[in-house]
Amino acid sequence: MLNYSYVKCKDLTQAYDLLEKEEQVYPLAGGTDLIVGMRGGKFAAKIIVDIKDLPELKILEENDQGIVIGAAVTLNEIATFKPIIDHALVLAEGAHTVGSYPIRNRATLAGNICNASPAADTAAPLMVLNAQVKITGSHGKRTVPINEFFVGPGQNVLKKGELVESVLIPRPYPNGTGVYLKASRTGSVDLATVGVAVQSWDNKVQVAVGAVAATPVRAISVEKAVNENGEKDLVRAASLARDDISPITDLRGSREYRYHMAEVLIRRGIEKVMEV
Amino acid sequence: MSEKMAISFTVNGNRETREVEVGHTLLKFIRDELHLTGTKSGCEIGECGACTVMLDGKPVNSCLVLAVEIDGKELLTIEGLTENGELDRIQKAFIDHAAFQCGYCTPGMIMSARALLERTANPTDEDINQALSGNLCRCGAYQEIREAVKAASKK
Repeated sequence: MLNYSYVKCKDLTQAYDLLEKEEQVYPLAGGTDLIVGMRGGKFAAKIIVDIKDLPELKILEENDQGIVIGAAVTLNEIATFKPIIDHALVLAEGAHTVGSYPIRNRATLAGNICNASPAADTAAPLMVLNAQVKITGSHGKRTVPINEFFVGPGQNVLKKGELVESVLIPRPYPNGTGVYLKASRTGSVDLATVGVAVQSWDNKVQVAVGAVAATPVRAISVEKAVNENGEKDLVRAASLARDDISPITDLRGSREYRYHMAEVLIRRGIEKVMEV
Repeated sequence: MSEKMAISFTVNGNRETREVEVGHTLLKFIRDELHLTGTKSGCEIGECGACTVMLDGKPVNSCLVLAVEIDGKELLTIEGLTENGELDRIQKAFIDHAAFQCGYCTPGMIMSARALLERTANPTDEDINQALSGNLCRCGAYQEIREAVKAASKK
C-alpha cells in the first residue's frame, strides 16, 4: 500500500496553495502516469491533490482565441471533439495513439505534457500547431509556447506552486492538413519509438519529432529546406533531420534505427500533407 | 501511516458507503473489500486490461484509479452484467464461440467489448481490434474473441 494523504480539491487556489507550501505534492488528473510512477518508485508522493473534477479544468470549448483544452479533459474527449478533428486533426491522431481506450478515458493532455516524456504522443502535434500552455499558480498566470515548455526528460518549466490550467490551440488555425505518424513495437498501447507530427500551413510545413532527443523537438532543418530553400527532394529534406535530433538506444530501438525511422516518417508525413 | 476516508458510490446498482484506505487502488478495493473477484489483477500498470471496469459508464483500468476517487460515482464490474441470473448477450457469445482458454482476461475483455457496443452498434473487425487493444489474452484466443463480439453485436 502506498502512503500519502489525499486531498480532493474544491478549487484551483487550494491546489496551488498546497503545491506551493508543502513538499512532495503531486496533482492527480488522469493518474495514469502518476499511479504507475508512485508504484515504481519514480514519484515519492506525500500528498495527492485531486484536481480532476474541478469545473474550470473540465473546459473543452472553441472561442475567439481558439480551442481551449482544460487540464482535466481526457484524451478520448479530445480525439472526438469536432473542432479539433476539423482544425487540428494532427492532435486528435496523436491523442488517439496514447495507450488503450480505457487509458484514454482517464489520461489527460495536460498530464501527457507535464509528465514530459520525450515520447509523449501529444507533444509533437501541439508543437506543429503552435499551442500555448496556460499556467496558473499562487503568483499569477502566465502563458508559455509549447516549444519552450519542455526542459528535459521528465522536466518542464513549471515552478513550485504552478499547475497547467489549459492548453490553447490558437487561431488562426492551419489551413492545411496534418498527420501524426508513430513507429512502435506493437500496433497499439506501446510508447512511441519515434513519433512524427507534420502540419501544413499554406504552402509551408511544420515538423516535430518525439522520442529522438531529450525533449520533443522541431525539425527546423527540414522545415527550412522545404519552406525556404524550395527543396523538392523529400528524401534529402528529411535526411536533414539528423541535425535536429540526438536519439539514444533503449529497449524500444537503437539510436541508428531511430535516426532512420525519423527520416522515413518525416518524408511520409510531408508527402501526405503536401499531397505529393 | 495509513489514512482512511469515507466514500459513497454505486456498485452494480447498489448504493454503498465504505471506509477506504487512500493508499489503495480501485482494483484492490474491488477484490479485497467488495469481494468482487471477477475483476482480475494482471500487470497493475495499465497494460493488460484484466482489471477493466466501468466507471460512470466508461471503461477504465481499475489498477490506475484510486479507491477514494469513486466517491459519488457509479461502478460496474463483471458481476453486474447478469440480469435475473441470466448472462448478458456478450457473456453468452463468449461461451458460444469458446472465446477463452484459461479465462483470466475474459472479464476485462467483456467490459471493453460492452463499452465498444455501447458506442458502436455494428463494429467492424478493425473497430473491435482497436477497442480491445488494451486487453491482452496470453492464450491467444483473439480470433474467437473477435467473433464473439461480432456475434453479440448482432443480437
